Amino acid sequence: MAEKLDVKQGTLALMILKTLQVLGPLHGYGVARRIEEISSNRLSLNYGTLYPALVKLEQEGFVTAAWRQSENNRRAKYYALTAAGRKRLAREARDWHRTADLIAAFLAPGLEVK
Amino acid sequence: MTQIRALLARIAGIFTRQQVEADLAEELQSHLEMATAENIRRGMNPDEARRQAMLESGGLMVAAEAVREQRGLPWIESIAADIKYAIRALRHSPAFTTVVVLTLSLGIGANTAIFSVVRGVLLKPLPHRDGDRLMYLRQSADGPGGENIGFSVPEILDFRNGAPALAGIAEFSPWTVAIRGDADAVRLDVGLVTGNYFEVMGLTPVLGRLTRPSDDGPGVPAVMVLTHDYWIKRFGGDSSVIGRQVRLDEKSATVIGVLQPAPFFPGHVDALLNMVISEHHTSALMVQGRTHRMTEMVARLRPGATVAQARAEVAAVSARVHSEFKDAYDPGSHYRVTVIPFREVLGERARLTLWLLMGAAAFVLLISAANVANLTLMRGVRREHELVVRAAIGAGAARLRRLLLAENLVLTLAGAAVGVVIAIGGVTLLTSLAARYSPRAGEIRLDGMVLGFTLALSVILALVLSFLASVPKEGTFASWISAGGRRMSGSLRKQKLQRGLVVAQIAVSVVLLAGAGLLTRTMIRLSSVDTGLKTEEVLSMEVGILSPTQLLAGGDADAKERYDRMRREARALPGVIEVGVGSTMPLRNSQVQLEIKAEGKSLAVGEAMPRAEFRTADPDYFRAAGIPLLKGREFSATDRDSAGRVVIINQVLAAKLFPGEDAVGQRLAWTGDVLRFTPFSGDWRTVIGVVGNTQDGGLDAAPQPVAFMPFAQELAIGGGLVIRVDSNASALVTPATRIVRAVAPTALIENVMTVAQIKDQSVSPRRLNAALVSSFGILAVIIAAVGIAGVLGFSVTSRTTEIGIRMSLGADSRQVQQMILKEGGVLVVIGLMLGVAGAFFAGHLMRGLLFGVAPHDPLTLIGVALMITVVGIGACWIPALRAARIDPAITMRSA
Repeated sequence: MAEKLDVKQGTLALMILKTLQVLGPLHGYGVARRIEEISSNRLSLNYGTLYPALVKLEQEGFVTAAWRQSENNRRAKYYALTAAGRKRLAREARDWHRTADLIAAFLAPGLEVK
Repeated sequence: MTQIRALLARIAGIFTRQQVEADLAEELQSHLEMATAENIRRGMNPDEARRQAMLESGGLMVAAEAVREQRGLPWIESIAADIKYAIRALRHSPAFTTVVVLTLSLGIGANTAIFSVVRGVLLKPLPHRDGDRLMYLRQSADGPGGENIGFSVPEILDFRNGAPALAGIAEFSPWTVAIRGDADAVRLDVGLVTGNYFEVMGLTPVLGRLTRPSDDGPGVPAVMVLTHDYWIKRFGGDSSVIGRQVRLDEKSATVIGVLQPAPFFPGHVDALLNMVISEHHTSALMVQGRTHRMTEMVARLRPGATVAQARAEVAAVSARVHSEFKDAYDPGSHYRVTVIPFREVLGERARLTLWLLMGAAAFVLLISAANVANLTLMRGVRREHELVVRAAIGAGAARLRRLLLAENLVLTLAGAAVGVVIAIGGVTLLTSLAARYSPRAGEIRLDGMVLGFTLALSVILALVLSFLASVPKEGTFASWISAGGRRMSGSLRKQKLQRGLVVAQIAVSVVLLAGAGLLTRTMIRLSSVDTGLKTEEVLSMEVGILSPTQLLAGGDADAKERYDRMRREARALPGVIEVGVGSTMPLRNSQVQLEIKAEGKSLAVGEAMPRAEFRTADPDYFRAAGIPLLKGREFSATDRDSAGRVVIINQVLAAKLFPGEDAVGQRLAWTGDVLRFTPFSGDWRTVIGVVGNTQDGGLDAAPQPVAFMPFAQELAIGGGLVIRVDSNASALVTPATRIVRAVAPTALIENVMTVAQIKDQSVSPRRLNAALVSSFGILAVIIAAVGIAGVLGFSVTSRTTEIGIRMSLGADSRQVQQMILKEGGVLVVIGLMLGVAGAFFAGHLMRGLLFGVAPHDPLTLIGVALMITVVGIGACWIPALRAARIDPAITMRSA
């Protein structure tokens, strides 16, 4: 089994927003499962990290939350992207790509000293 | 934007807490159920599925806490929780809490009350527009009555022309008028002002209008502006007063406005009028006489100008004028003009007393804070165990510190609350004290600023107290816990701190007690001052029959006849031994002070021209007042208007004019330029007698030179009855007043007082001072005694084992007792030495308030040292006794 990674500061919000964009309104459990699946279970995500992040996004107005019936008839709190959330996602994704490219270039083997 | 939105949501989170909690619980529950269901689908049995789900999710509680932190503002909530906890904890130690809160409330209450006075009287901005640019000018000269001699109109003109830093200069001439009814008369203290006065002062009317430049000069109608106080007192705040005609002596004036509330200087004022009401003020004598000084001067700094600039310009003008008009400025008298910000001059007389009281109150607070600090330190030691446990289960140092802060805040705020209640009572008392010293006493309020001061004081105290106690540091838990969580009896540092605080308490108590002792001795000295009168059973009353204008217009003979009739009728009252008539009552000052010269004597170069008070007296005056005749004879019925001019002088004047000679038979005369403006002659007068000095300017003032003229030979400008009785002078007030009313129905009857009452006027402010500082001193000693006993008691408790060991090794209880006494004795001695040094310094600072005692009065210091020693030993004795009673067998077993 691969070594589990902690979620990097700042990236969790991006993952949540992306998840909600792809899958539409979703409950916290669904978001957690999706992130774990995408990361092939390399990320461990517990309540204590996920829910505060969701609350923070809600407070900042990037997602809204509402109680609904789930597919198997359970009451669950569903989170949905807002327009502001969509905008933030686009911006952060772009920034992230740039940073990732930069870091990748930086860490390329040719540049290694010694 | 995003942040603001999030913050608002979080603040809202504090209030929607319960609903949110339920919401969160349900959300986490549903998460758990979904995870469990998923695990079951994967083939786990239900219990295992649930366990796995919980493991994966990292614990519900932790998650809930994390969400809560994100939801609300956790620090506010935890402070609220801390305070709730603090209140609960303090309720568990009611004795500690009560002692601390009471101690603090006394300290905070005293400071709040006195600060409100200091603020009202000294610090608050003036109600005048740009009050800080308002200046008071004072002309002084050496010699009696020279502190504030006022200005003449030509002098004021010099400054108008020569001091551009003063944008506006206004004149204010204190004057009195009488409103005479059919059966009574009331004196009105008024100010005659120039039209620019209110503009310069920066005051506005609450009703009607104020005087303006068009009200200046002769030939305009007399107008009158009422002060706010007088308007309320006399007219009950009736707005129909505007336009009313008021009869003042023989003239009338129209009320044109009511002034906003404002303090006056140098004296209390009922109304302000334009100059035209007094013929004198518009006469050539007044307007052109350079030495005719009867006007106060206020000025406003020109925008951009500084006080220093104004002072330089004023000094330059004075220097020029002094050389130009040599006759008007006797070089020996050192005429000088000072420029003082108006706010400072208003607080002049109150300043020293108020700072003294503020200092005393601050000291009391310091001691009570030291005591609380000691109590908290001791309690902190007892709580070390609790703090260690808290630290061990995860409370960080900052969190523990905050817990202590919450407790101390609860204590100091409770103290402040009780203190404010104490202050409310104190302010009433202090306002009456302040009214004697300051025209701004009416502005004293327990307002928001004062309460803010109190609050700030409490918070600072709480902060200081919290940082005195030590808190387990992160990373040192292990050592704390390995100590077994047992009491660690305070580190050496902490013990030093406690002892230092006790020393400070004793030192401060010594300073306060010494101050109290000095003030008390001052008061005792003062009340035992010999007034110079041979008897105290004397009633004096000032009776103003006619105004100066009426006297000059020929009313004098009639007035004298009435005074004589009053004298005869009062003489017939039962119990009356003697009745005299004179211009000035015994133990009071005459306003008339003139230059005087002796025949055949010349002044030494640079010597100030002698001055003396001008008074009149009839033949019975000296015997009635009990003023002893030292040489020569008293006035007799033959010293009438037509007879030769004679004079009786007091000892001070005799020594001044005729040093080492017999004054009787010599001749003297009033002199000086200013005589032109008075109805008094500069003829030579023969000295026929010398009388003893009396304490006219108050019991603490040096007697001034006085010359008495026969009442019959001078204009009756002032007058009053001096009545000596065989016993209980105050019983005569009613019958004597009735006689005066019958003889002169429209006379002003003022200052009806016995000699004892006049004496008390100089003593009573000192008595209040001494009482206040003494009560602070006694309070300090009590608090300090509690402090010593507490610290030593604590030391005994924490050394129980050690003492037990000593005793089992052969120390007897007497030795143990001595050991503890010595421990306390060292603190008392060090505190005493520091305190005496402080008392020297404090005595020096307050020497202006002392009379008849030196600032380092050895008797006071020895008395204080003895008292502190006795109290100190007493306070050490209790814990020492307890130490001596320790049973080694019991302590060793429980150790």
